[in-house]
Amino acid sequence: MALLEVKDLKMYYQTLRGQVKAVDSVSFEIEKGKALGIAGESGCGKSSMAITVLRLLPGNGHILGGEVRMDGLDLLSMSEEAFRKAIRWSRISMIFQGAMNALNPVHRVGNQIVEAILTHEDVSRQEAVDRARRLLDMVGISPRRFNDYPHEFSGGMKQRAVIAMALACNPDLVIADEPTTALDVMVQAQVLRAIQDLREKLALSMMLITHDLSVIAQTCDDVAIMYAGRIVEYGTATEVYKKPLHPYSMGLVSAFPNIAADKSPVRSVPGFPPNLVSPPEGCRFHPRCPLADDRCKTEEPASIEVGGNHHSVACHKVDVTAGGIDIWV
Amino acid sequence: MGFRTYLIRRIVYALIVLFVILTFNFAVFRLMPGDAEKMIIDPRFSPEARMALRKQFGLDDPPLVQYWKYITSLLRFDLGQSFATRRPVASELAERLPNTIVLFLTAFTLTMIIGTAVGVYAAQHRGTFAETFVTGAGLFTYAVPTFFFQLLLLMLFGYYIRIFPIHGTMSAPPPDGAFLRFLDRVHHLILPAGSNVIIGFGSWALYTRNTMLEALGQDYIITARAKGLPRRDILYHHALRSVLPPIVTLIFLSLPGLVTGAVITETIFSWHGVGRYLMDAVLQQDYPAAQGAFYLIALAVIISNFMADLVYGLVDPRIRVGAGERR
Repeated sequence: MALLEVKDLKMYYQTLRGQVKAVDSVSFEIEKGKALGIAGESGCGKSSMAITVLRLLPGNGHILGGEVRMDGLDLLSMSEEAFRKAIRWSRISMIFQGAMNALNPVHRVGNQIVEAILTHEDVSRQEAVDRARRLLDMVGISPRRFNDYPHEFSGGMKQRAVIAMALACNPDLVIADEPTTALDVMVQAQVLRAIQDLREKLALSMMLITHDLSVIAQTCDDVAIMYAGRIVEYGTATEVYKKPLHPYSMGLVSAFPNIAADKSPVRSVPGFPPNLVSPPEGCRFHPRCPLADDRCKTEEPASIEVGGNHHSVACHKVDVTAGGIDIWV
Repeated sequence: MGFRTYLIRRIVYALIVLFVILTFNFAVFRLMPGDAEKMIIDPRFSPEARMALRKQFGLDDPPLVQYWKYITSLLRFDLGQSFATRRPVASELAERLPNTIVLFLTAFTLTMIIGTAVGVYAAQHRGTFAETFVTGAGLFTYAVPTFFFQLLLLMLFGYYIRIFPIHGTMSAPPPDGAFLRFLDRVHHLILPAGSNVIIGFGSWALYTRNTMLEALGQDYIITARAKGLPRRDILYHHALRSVLPPIVTLIFLSLPGLVTGAVITETIFSWHGVGRYLMDAVLQQDYPAAQGAFYLIALAVIISNFMADLVYGLVDPRIRVGAGERR
């Protein structure tokens, strides 16, 4: 059984302009010890999915269907109080895009970690403090900085402190939402290395959300490409990265320069992500897709498995894209 | 910048402000229409008697000498003698100051507690009828002119429904027994203090609500929720705690406004305090008395500003001076 199982999950935001279908029939699984990367443009629903799993939705966000199961346990039907005590942080924790604001500015960094431990575990304060110091040490922050306030940390240190905090209660799954955005390139590399090290050392299961495919290529086993609230392609990171089958994934991959390969222009996917209140009929990507034909405009493509390794794609034109031609010329 | 330099700077700054205020205070009474002599010197006096009186009050000195005497005696807390009562202003003020402090400390503490609690409640129940009602009521009472509202209360609860006394700090003669005297005081306190609370809580509630809502929308609140903290901890330990610095600063910054508000409240409720003393002194052109009251108010304003600076540093680690040295 997979550690986390998400099936047909639907989460819509109720707004004045109508329902925003941020997460629309999304399914995926994360095996124990594996890392799944979720990639897509801003506004494709990837962060919404993360907060849906932890049930941190704002007042206007509603889960309208589907299942989220952890070790078979139905997370969506649990009472709020039971979920808070038994799941949040103790089993699923989250690394936020934390360089800026994920830490409370008026509390000492160490105490914010201690607080998480004391909420979920019946240990003495001293034990919690000791563990928090060890965690800081583990992410490369001197335990002497335990009593510092967040503003005394650099951006990269804050992000590493947030990572340390996410590990405070030995969670089964860590969701990392854009953990390296807002950091400069050198610090990004540091933080990514810290995440990778910890994954190896602790056999962590992870869900890593990012718009940066290179981050996923570096840290994840599997990848799901999201577009307009749907997963359009799913497979192992190497396979999707080497041989993307959905035109959108192909665009994402070729939008990402490869310093090892021959010189080729960096391309982007023209157009903008659709409005999720009234997404396009048929395949949601058809307005931006160079291969789109009449069928794509009316009929929604189902996700079909291609080859082995659970590589699946939702596209009517797989036979074309599988041919290996460059569609983004 | 070390804490000492910071402290010394604030003190020097406060002293300069005090000096400017005192000078202004000295000048403004001498520029006001009317003449002190008319108050204390009967036109039928002989020129000799007149000169003697002028001499007694030091009014025959040239302005600069008067100014020097004024400053030096203020520093010794010698506020001169009232023209009207011929008693030392300092002892008249000392007699009234406790009444003023009791009235406004009560009103202020209640305003703070109620205002903040209501604000937190409104932020917590965003979008409900309760929130609309609370913010509406807060805005309404905030907008009502203090004196008008107080007169209404006085008319309603002092005259038509006689449940509260219409004037004074205590009954004359006061009832026997310490406890009854205390109750009598409280009875007199309810309307003046209560009206200030009703007028004042709204702006606090709205301010607290707004800053709380802003805090509740911050990323670190989502972190706190994700950590599985109980609701109460998120609300108080994370949201309220993080908006405490501006709130506490505002508390101290609003103290001066209270002192000046004392003039209106004390006049309307005939409260035997510094505010009404100032009002009477101005009306009677009693320079020393008015100057003394102003001096006291200026001191209160300067001290509360000074404290606001210090306290802000204490509650907000980001501006805690010299925090970088501890490492």
